[in-house]
Formats: sequence, C-alpha cells, structure tokens
Amino acid sequence: MNILPFPRRFDPAPWGRWELKEVLGACADSISRGEASGWEVGSTEAGDPQFYLLGPAPDYECLLSISRVGRVYVLEDGNGRVLIEDNGLVAMAQQVRETLSRKKAAFIARIALAWCVVRETIEDKAEAMFAETHEVLLHFGPQAASLI
Amino acid sequence: MHFAKAAPEAKQLRKQAGTWLKGLRGKAGLSQIELAQHLGLKYYTFISQVENGFGRVPTESMEAWATALGVEPAGFARHLLAYYDPELHRLLFEGKP
Repeated sequence: MNILPFPRRFDPAPWGRWELKEVLGACADSISRGEASGWEVGSTEAGDPQFYLLGPAPDYECLLSISRVGRVYVLEDGNGRVLIEDNGLVAMAQQVRETLSRKKAAFIARIALAWCVVRETIEDKAEAMFAETHEVLLHFGPQAASLI
Repeated sequence: MHFAKAAPEAKQLRKQAGTWLKGLRGKAGLSQIELAQHLGLKYYTFISQVENGFGRVPTESMEAWATALGVEPAGFARHLLAYYDPELHRLLFEGKP
C-alpha cells in the first residue's frame, strides 16, 4: 500500500493587519500602563504565526502568546498553559483583556498585602519600643525626680 | 560586585538557550510537534515560544524535556541554568570552594 503525503490544508500566512490590530487593541492598556513592555512576532517551525506580549524590564519575558494554528487561535501564558483556543479572534482578544486585567488585579493584591505586612511590622516594633520607654520612665523617673 | 543582569543580556541568553534546545531537538530527530507529543502538550506552539527565546523551559518540566530530547536531566538543567540565571549558575558551579 502506498501512503501519499497529505498536503497541509491551510498554508500558514503571517499575521494580517486586522489580526494584529485586534490583538494590539486588547494589549494596549497593559502596554500603556507599563505592565507589558512591548510585543514581537515570530513563527513556529511549520510557519504558524505567533504573537508574544513581553513583560517589563529587565527580563522582557513572554506574558502571553497567541498563535494561529490552522484556523484556531491559541492563547497561552508564559509557561505554555493553554488559556483559550477559539476560531474567532474577537473572542480571543476578549480573553486577552480579561487575562491581563486579572494579572493587574493580582499585582494590586500583592502590593496591598505587602503594605499590610510592613505596616503591621512597624506597628509591632513601635508598640514594643513605647512599652520599653514607658517602663524605663517608671523605673528611673522617681529617682531622677528626687535628684532635682 | 555583581549587578543584576542587563536587559538585553537576559533576552539574548534566552535566545541562545532556544537555539541550543533547537539543536538538541534536531539531534534527537524530533519535530516541534513530536516533542510536544512527548511532553503531553496539546499544541506545539510553546516549543516554538521557548526555541524563539521568548519563554523558558519551566523547572517542573525540565526532566521531561531532557528525557524527550535523550539527554541526562541534571546536565540539561545545569546547562539551561547558565542561560536562564547565569549568576546562580556561577555561584553553584563555577565558584571556588
């Protein structure tokens, strides 16, 4: 039996202008706020186009990657976790917006938590310091007063 | 004194890591699709992301990558660390006792 090589059904084309416009529209807020530093495009070995949203300096690591494989758009995070796969770019762009806003919310939560920890530590230290000062005054205060 | 790695350097090193990984995959005779299948990934797009220097091989899957590429895991991880965190690699493996 002869096996004939089956040709690829869709020749992978590079990103179209409208596709990039849609994707960049979804990332624009993150880029303008500095949560993402920029973007680049590339392709897989088979020529499927990829879009990489890059994180801030100094590492510029990939925050999100969008690939078009055949007719499916695949959104992955920087660790290769597939977040969504869809035939439509509009749904994909919406998912990009939601993912980026979740990242922002997580960042704000981390800052708030760090602030609470710092504040609590300062309060604990200040409380201990005041208690110690109070004790010293109670102990030496009468003696100092008798000297005057 | 050692300062944090400069931005272009981190990016450049990731690209070098990607090229090295691509070479290993070539030696193993695997396509990106085949490597993804070995790693249990649904799409091969992450392989491309890593080989193009935009992503890193996650620590938790380094052993699986090494096995799929037919190399020894500890040496594989050590070599990748030289690209991904050169300062830590220097401290761990190049420092004098």
